[in-house]
Amino acid sequence: MSVDYARFFAALCGGGVEFILVGGTAANVHGSARLTQDVDIVYRRSRENVARLVAALGPFDPYLRGAPPGLPFRWDAETISRGLNFTLQTKLGPVDTLGEITGGGGYDALLAHTLEIGAFGQRIRCLDLRKLIEVKRAAGRPKDLEAVAELEALLDESGG
Amino acid sequence: MASQCYPDGVERDPVIEEYKKHVDRTLLRENLKLTVEQRLRNLMELQKLSEELRRAGRKVR
Repeated sequence: MSVDYARFFAALCGGGVEFILVGGTAANVHGSARLTQDVDIVYRRSRENVARLVAALGPFDPYLRGAPPGLPFRWDAETISRGLNFTLQTKLGPVDTLGEITGGGGYDALLAHTLEIGAFGQRIRCLDLRKLIEVKRAAGRPKDLEAVAELEALLDESGG
Repeated sequence: MASQCYPDGVERDPVIEEYKKHVDRTLLRENLKLTVEQRLRNLMELQKLSEELRRAGRKVR
């Protein structure tokens, strides 16, 4: 299933959710030509923001991606507060809601390394290219080597 | 191999440098001409195409 970015951003921004776009979609924002199948966000872990996140995504039936149907999973503030990172399937497509990312930490630590972008009538915080490279390197996954190479090439192309 | 850095201090990794030789920069340059929204719309189209291809592959099997 593809991601409906327009409705996804409208839901989060309209609901006042504090989040940062990271991962493959952030790479695409910076010009990457690689295909990513989901959207990754880092959300602020405050009680108020968790409540906003729950309310914003609730109408789109979030459920644990790849999990068998019928598990006692409840998309509510208690579940989010007790956990950290959730890989979800929603009516808007696959969504990863992350409390922290390797090499970058949480929302507050990442905020200084973001830029505001405009798309689909929304203003969205996106991880900047240098930090994106740093966290991809920190993840240390073999599959990220090509992604890091492409991001560094983008850094070259945009004047380093 | 001696490590090198970008002017802003981003360290160059020799393994990554090797991978970079194979990056198709023509695609990147085309993407950089687009707005952010156009890049995301292209990504959505790619996701739909990928989904269609997977669906077709499942039918063949």
